[in-house]
Amino acid sequence: MTEIGVIPSLLRICLILVLISAACLLTTRNLSSLVRTYALQSLILVAIAILLGVIEQKNILLLIAGITLASKVIGIPWFITVIQKRIRIQQDLKFSYLQPGGALVVSILLILLVYLCFSRVLHDLVTQNSLFFLGSIIGVSLMLMGLIAIFSRQLAITKVIGYLSMENGVLLFGLFVTELPFITEFVIMVDLIILVLLTTILTVGMDSSIDAYMNRLKEFHLWSEEEVQA
Amino acid sequence: MSLTPFFAGLVNLGFVLLISPLFMTVVKKVKARAQRRAGPPLLQGYYNLAKLFRKEVVYSDYASFISRIAPYASLAILMVATLLVPVIWIPDAAPAEGNIIVFLYLLAFTRFLLALLGLDAGSTFGGMGSSREMSLSAVIEPTTVVVFAVMAYVAGTLSIPEMFRHATTIIPGMSPTALLLAVSLFILIIVETGRVPVDNPETHLELTMIHEGMLLDTSGRNLALFELSHAVKQTLLMALLINMLIPFGIIQEVSIVGLVLAALLFLLKGTALSVLLGIVESSFAKMRFFRVPNLFMLAFFFSALTILSEVMI
Repeated sequence: MTEIGVIPSLLRICLILVLISAACLLTTRNLSSLVRTYALQSLILVAIAILLGVIEQKNILLLIAGITLASKVIGIPWFITVIQKRIRIQQDLKFSYLQPGGALVVSILLILLVYLCFSRVLHDLVTQNSLFFLGSIIGVSLMLMGLIAIFSRQLAITKVIGYLSMENGVLLFGLFVTELPFITEFVIMVDLIILVLLTTILTVGMDSSIDAYMNRLKEFHLWSEEEVQA
Repeated sequence: MSLTPFFAGLVNLGFVLLISPLFMTVVKKVKARAQRRAGPPLLQGYYNLAKLFRKEVVYSDYASFISRIAPYASLAILMVATLLVPVIWIPDAAPAEGNIIVFLYLLAFTRFLLALLGLDAGSTFGGMGSSREMSLSAVIEPTTVVVFAVMAYVAGTLSIPEMFRHATTIIPGMSPTALLLAVSLFILIIVETGRVPVDNPETHLELTMIHEGMLLDTSGRNLALFELSHAVKQTLLMALLINMLIPFGIIQEVSIVGLVLAALLFLLKGTALSVLLGIVESSFAKMRFFRVPNLFMLAFFFSALTILSEVMI
């Protein structure tokens, strides 16, 4: 351990809280608490960005915190809540491939794998700054856990939340490892993509699974039969 | 041979026996408040026990000697377990070697006794309760072992007093591993004491009961003994969580003032934890029986994560 102080230990706690929230995202069945968990996760990311900004004395980090707060803690959750009120989705969500318990075991294995890989790749970082090493591991693990959420959930709206959580992982990794101005742009871009994705799904079939979405596309002749077969 | 271990054991035992019913009532009170009822007065737990102790015991015609000894044995085992967990004072010379594996097996033993008792009276409800309890415990036991193993790993010792001593050296609330450990221990408390997502302690309906099902045929003094031992079990697990996460206030050098202060502080922390338990209990619905393993999986995840984060940091 290279540094001992209040802020690094607070950062460690925040990182662990991020993982706890990711575990909740994998297991929660209730949609509104899913959205709340996502907002909470983003809020923890804001706290991490501010604390890092204090340590590194970089204003850009505070800017990132501000953008994240506006978009992911307030904007997107509010948007999803509005949609959720308009279309009535059942609480109990279906899972495919992996039940929540299995998903948790897989994610432990993934974290372990990321740790093993990174301790070789980022060899210098381990000895120099263990905090940044931990941050990068948790960032990538969060990304992979978002991936699990995407493929184990069936409804489109929960897939979107998995995607958003993946993007949180990218942001976390960016905060700890890569250069910042680039990542800021990247984050905004990804956010835009998400918004587009949200709105497209909203127009046709937010309350249904991907299969039902395809059927509806066929119904409205938006997609020709041959292409679907192919 | 000094008298310290003897005295320490006595203080610990007396304190735990005295406060346990209070914590049970606090949980009930919080649940009642969440449903906009007034709830029982805070001393209701003691009144209930006093009433039950005065009542006559009725045994089923089929009951064997197990129904007669199980209540006493259950409380006695938990009293032994109490000697292993120092609640307010870590003496230099402990009254018993506080080995966490022994503690685990003592808890398992009380559960075994309860299951036997459920079968003993020959009623169908009791048998059903025992069968459910045993199948649940077969699933929860590995997770419990992992959680306790993590505690031992983090503190670097198997002895419970030594773990608490180790916890006092860390800045309270500042260690991420302690936080993760607290989450797993919290889930463990919910499961071991039969609280809402797993079991509903307030109902006597056939469909939902596990713990109550086994106690249906006990009455009078025996029921009081079981309720007391249930409360003691809850207090012990709560003490594990509190003294690992916020050991602040636990004393290592004995003095009258220190003891009183530590007792008051523990009372405060325990009440806070009971309020939290009550809130959690009233904000969840009971889970379907076959969905309960997911909850254990969560505890397992957090304890595995604790080991990982201890290695990574």
